[in-house]
Amino acid sequence: MGNTQVLFSQRIRKFVKNNGSVVIFLILALLASLFVKNFFALNNFLTIIKQAAIPVIACLGITLVLMTGGIDLSLGYTLGLCSITVGLFVKTVGLPIWLSIVLTLLVGLLVGLINGTLVQVVKVPAFIVTLGSGYIIFGIAQIVSSGSDVNRLPASFRAIGVTNILGLNTTVLISLVICLIMYYLLHHSTFGRALAAFGFNAKAARMSGIRSEALNILVYMICSFLVAIAAILLTIRVNCAQPTMGGGVYTFEVITGAIIGGASLFGGIGTVIGSVFGVLIIKVLENCINLLNVSYYTYQAFQGIVILLAIIFENVKNRKL
Amino acid sequence: MQKTILQMDNITKYIFDEHGQALRGTTVKILEDVHFDVKEAEVHVLVGENGAGKSTLMKIIGGIIPADGGQMFLDGQEVTFSGPRESLANGIGFIHQELNLCLNLDVAQNIFLGRESQKGIFLNKTEMYEKAKEMLLRLGFDINPHTLVRELSTAQQQIVEIVKVLSYECRVIIMDEPTASLTKSEIDKLFAIIHDLRKNGISIIYISHRFDELTEIGDRITVLRDGRYIGSVDIAEFDYDKIISMMVGRKLTAMFKSTHLVQDKVILEVKGLAIARNTPPIDLTVRSGEVVGLSGLVGAGRTELAKSIFGSRPYYGGQILYKGEEIGHLHPHRLIEKGVIYLSEDRKLEGLVLEMSLKDNVTLASLKRMYPKTKINFAREAEVASESVAKLNIVANSIEQLCNTLSGGNQQKVVLAKWLLTTPQLLILDEPTRGIDVNAKSEIYRIIDELAKQGVAILMISSELPEIIGMSDRIYVMKRGAIAAELTAKEDFVQEKILSYTL
Repeated sequence: MGNTQVLFSQRIRKFVKNNGSVVIFLILALLASLFVKNFFALNNFLTIIKQAAIPVIACLGITLVLMTGGIDLSLGYTLGLCSITVGLFVKTVGLPIWLSIVLTLLVGLLVGLINGTLVQVVKVPAFIVTLGSGYIIFGIAQIVSSGSDVNRLPASFRAIGVTNILGLNTTVLISLVICLIMYYLLHHSTFGRALAAFGFNAKAARMSGIRSEALNILVYMICSFLVAIAAILLTIRVNCAQPTMGGGVYTFEVITGAIIGGASLFGGIGTVIGSVFGVLIIKVLENCINLLNVSYYTYQAFQGIVILLAIIFENVKNRKL
Repeated sequence: MQKTILQMDNITKYIFDEHGQALRGTTVKILEDVHFDVKEAEVHVLVGENGAGKSTLMKIIGGIIPADGGQMFLDGQEVTFSGPRESLANGIGFIHQELNLCLNLDVAQNIFLGRESQKGIFLNKTEMYEKAKEMLLRLGFDINPHTLVRELSTAQQQIVEIVKVLSYECRVIIMDEPTASLTKSEIDKLFAIIHDLRKNGISIIYISHRFDELTEIGDRITVLRDGRYIGSVDIAEFDYDKIISMMVGRKLTAMFKSTHLVQDKVILEVKGLAIARNTPPIDLTVRSGEVVGLSGLVGAGRTELAKSIFGSRPYYGGQILYKGEEIGHLHPHRLIEKGVIYLSEDRKLEGLVLEMSLKDNVTLASLKRMYPKTKINFAREAEVASESVAKLNIVANSIEQLCNTLSGGNQQKVVLAKWLLTTPQLLILDEPTRGIDVNAKSEIYRIIDELAKQGVAILMISSELPEIIGMSDRIYVMKRGAIAAELTAKEDFVQEKILSYTL
């Protein structure tokens, strides 16, 4: 039957569309295993997963924002602000650990609230709002820290991220739990459905009874909240709270991950699996570059090529025929 | 005998997408075997109801969209235009209803846009401004060519557009409802120009809804109806009733079956609502089990009224009562909860999320009701969507089919299915059968009747008079932002009568 054939080809196309990054990841891992010395080793795989765990959290945040058709360029600076915030609270001020973390997460939510409100209410394009707010956030981080880092954080605080449970690092486990929660939110809840509808056609979504205004602001808040979590874990990992942590390069890397993972810059499309593998692809490339002893600068140029290819690919894939 | 400049034979056009290409697999014709010709130095008026195909025909002449069948001759030579530029190069100018000027440029810059005169590598500004001034003066307008177009009145902008078209040495100028936004004195000036142009041997195709204008400037009238050529009449033989009957002369088919009964309970009551700052207040009621038709020309304010009720547009004073409760300015999600829904006239822009599946679209407005705990039950969702497909006879490969691959009629049914799933008590339908084929139409009529039978109150906006007459228990006619008439007696439901209130 013609109909079933159409369906089958649609299904294949849908699979590639939704899971293209998984396919690319597998090909890449296979090539690396064959051609890069020391790549194929359990320890190396664990390293890659460890390195991916934190950016994945932020990447899931930006995936939601991209799904609305917006963008958050302040992401990397929010990371720096949250890093120095938690450092100051937990060491310099000496607040209890749980309170320091709660306050840091609140800082994240506040940043998201401001970004989201500006985008939704003042109707300024997201990239302009977050470009501006990013610099403000960077400035605030410098001011509160007087430009200096906070070193040697309390061991009890660090334990949150560096303990091993069943052979896996708690950072990786936290990241995994967040992935699962986000998977539920995005693919099994009305929130994800509403978000996709809003991203594709905001007007139709609003007129179908989706509270699009609240949704849009909420998405920026979730994104910055996740970035705050990433900031805390990264601060623990490097054992140093830095106002300059993250920055534009980090934003770029995280957005790259989401786009390689198939998220659309035009809204509507984005998946948890895609974004997770998008980040993994970046980390595998980074890993290979390390193993091959290529300079980091070459890698950055290479990363630019990857994001361009990903965007071109996405464009071709989503072009309406 | 005047020479025929432009002739079109058997022009056929299928319903098309935004690129002017026929939709895949469609059989809906917007134009069918249309004949049209323009003689030298004549003003040829094109009339017809909304959706009769006037604009489509003009777009074909203007090279904006291609015809799917038929031939076009210019001076006896067969021509096909691949774009507006080619049409313009052949001497056909198109003045659109919405003017196509760059507001941020001045008059002369607009007139010479894209073909500025040059001196070496520099623009020859002196020459351009002088030329522009001269051309404006020739039409009797003393507009400074240095003025920004933004600062001109609509009428003056129209003049600039005319000058621009004339500067291409056009022999045929299409004017699409040029007087729609002009004042009386501006209209007189425009008519003087039209007379002048005709004297200089230029032909004009003039689209209008205003009958008083036709006799004043027209030489010949051609009537289109339902995408077909009905006939042409010389202005000397102009007869108001005859033209009207040519425009509407359709037989009511057996598509409309009324099995519902109007109940006493008032569901919607609009009191003194002004849709714009300077429009008179509107009063309107819809009862339980009643289908109320809202007729009027495009731009009469029908959609604005509907959107004011549905909270997606501000209004200026007045009250909107739903079951006696004020609902003005509520967010759509609150209205949907209460049982008020609005089916938009533009299903692609406001009705559907085209990139999502049939199933996702059907359940979109009911997510909160179906899954109060936010977890989507996929099995239940598929069940509900399949039920809708069966109930509304939606033709699709599966409930997973993306909506942008469905036909217009099926898309409309998906939108309807989405709204029915919310169990509405007040249905505002804006052009519920636009651009869909006859079968889908009659099914939608059946559904509307069925809903009314269940006690749903229905306010139906439509530009198609047979539909309004066939479906309505009561009819409001809107004209320029106000209710021009309310028809309650069935014997008043006559096309000619309704049309006379709209014009």
